[in-house]
Amino acid sequence: MITAITIGLLGFLALSIPVGIVLFLLGFGVDAFYSPFPLIRGLGNQVWSTSNNATLIAIPFFVLLGEILVRSGIAARTYEALDRWVSWLPGGLVHANIATATMFSATSGSSVATAATVATVAMPQAEKLGYDPKLFSGAIAAGGTLGIMIPPSINLIVYGFLTQTSIPQLFLAGLVPGIALALGFMAITVVICLLRPGLGGTSRLFPLGSMLRALLQLIPIILLFTIIIGSIYNGWATPTEAAAVGVACALLIAALFGSVTFSMITDSILGTVKITSMIMLVVIGASFLNFTLASAGLGRELETLLTGLGLSPFGTILVVVLIYIVLGFFIETLSLMVVTIPIIVPLVVAQGFDPIWFGILMIVLIEMALITPPVGLNLYVVQGARKTGKMSEVMLGAIPYAVAMLIMVALLIAFPQIALYLPSALGG
Amino acid sequence: MEEIVLGKLRRWNRWIAVLTGVVLMLCAAVVLLDIILRRMGSSLGGTDEISGYVMAIATSWGMAYTLLELGHVRIDILRGRSDRLARSLFDLFALIVLAGTVTTIAVKCWPVLSRSLQNGSRANTPLETPLALVQAPWFAGWVWFAIVAWATLFAALVLVLKGKFEKSENAIGCFGEEKAVE
Repeated sequence: MITAITIGLLGFLALSIPVGIVLFLLGFGVDAFYSPFPLIRGLGNQVWSTSNNATLIAIPFFVLLGEILVRSGIAARTYEALDRWVSWLPGGLVHANIATATMFSATSGSSVATAATVATVAMPQAEKLGYDPKLFSGAIAAGGTLGIMIPPSINLIVYGFLTQTSIPQLFLAGLVPGIALALGFMAITVVICLLRPGLGGTSRLFPLGSMLRALLQLIPIILLFTIIIGSIYNGWATPTEAAAVGVACALLIAALFGSVTFSMITDSILGTVKITSMIMLVVIGASFLNFTLASAGLGRELETLLTGLGLSPFGTILVVVLIYIVLGFFIETLSLMVVTIPIIVPLVVAQGFDPIWFGILMIVLIEMALITPPVGLNLYVVQGARKTGKMSEVMLGAIPYAVAMLIMVALLIAFPQIALYLPSALGG
Repeated sequence: MEEIVLGKLRRWNRWIAVLTGVVLMLCAAVVLLDIILRRMGSSLGGTDEISGYVMAIATSWGMAYTLLELGHVRIDILRGRSDRLARSLFDLFALIVLAGTVTTIAVKCWPVLSRSLQNGSRANTPLETPLALVQAPWFAGWVWFAIVAWATLFAALVLVLKGKFEKSENAIGCFGEEKAVE
């Protein structure tokens, strides 16, 4: 069954059938060939119970929050402000790229939106100040991936939903690895620019007064992040409610900056509906496939497979990591995550691994998929935003950051505590 | 003819999407109000339940809009390396499979609603919402998705037969993931 599903999955995907529909087809297939009783009767109930869900409404809320922030010019202000603070480092503005991407991913929950925003704001600066386009654009593509790791993360919400793990715990677990990755990206940039000073442009030191004034620009976004995350851990709000609070705050900030207009709101709303439905078709499909696989006895088959392979838990994780790296060249982000969860997560958990830890590991691997060609979403987004130069420049520039992610994967496997310390210390 | 159909479908679905988004924003406002009331020791009660219904209905009604905006993610590996004719065949094939699957989903959603109608089922919650009341618009959304999928398929088929590949690519093509999330 596992082999048939995997072949079917890759075949249907290659035919360019929409990912969500492929998952339904596989579900139909499992029902027809492997299930002793007809499961398709449960289809309607599955669709209803998956979408009638108060947790998942956090998805449109977080998307809306990000849309409002991106469309109201708050990103541009943040970038300018961060430029004042980090541009003295070797590598200059490249750090501002990473820092802005990190801050925006912290609030917007979407990698693509983050990369697109930073690219739009940053690219004109790069030309003016004479940066090497490779490293500069690679840093944006890589920084933008942090959006799915640092909470609030839509991908973590979906993971939590499909694997029945606690979303607040997942958010906590993502915090340290996310920040560590951002710092790792910056460290790698410093090293590269020390070795090859030509790549990094001129580093500039701003007077203290201008730095402090810039800090004022950062207050709204930091406040927003604190309110969202704080209200979840104070027990004031569930992730869903925190998302609603975030939407209100974002609107308020946009209004304070005078950028709330009718067309801005309409665009944000349309973008939200589109992205939400896109995500939900995939999530409902995965949930149906999950249901058919479980009913057809995937658990037993996995057990036999594992004993047959005779892999140690460590060996299993290595194989899983390898699978994600290979699949990550071709499929990515949510699709990659959702199509693999029904098979991979039960397998990993059966080996005694913590599902929260594995969620974070999976996110790093998926982040890597975002910046590895030929199918690397963020590479295309950054290339689309900069409008000049070659695609290959962005790809080359992203390589150092992909290496940083690989190191992170190794660290997470060697020291699971990087992800698990916060949830166990604070989550009880 | 076929272009008029596509134009109309786009316009209608845009309005539906705006309306869906407004409902989502209202829902956010209700959730917010509930948090504030709770801090003051009171509560609206049942916001979780309402959010769930809103999510189900918003999801099903947004699907058709996303389809026309080419938002449903497709993997472009083979398709992107083919010529114009082959690309449009990929697109038509993907849309046939989608329309068929969505129709199956809509058909299988009907028993859920019909059971609620027959039994007059109410949610097992403090609000005791009559389930048919929220399942009817949810079901209608999936039916709408199926109708829009078939209508788009026929319009695109006519475009391809007339050799208007560019127009058909605009209607049912695949921008790859990068455009899908813009």
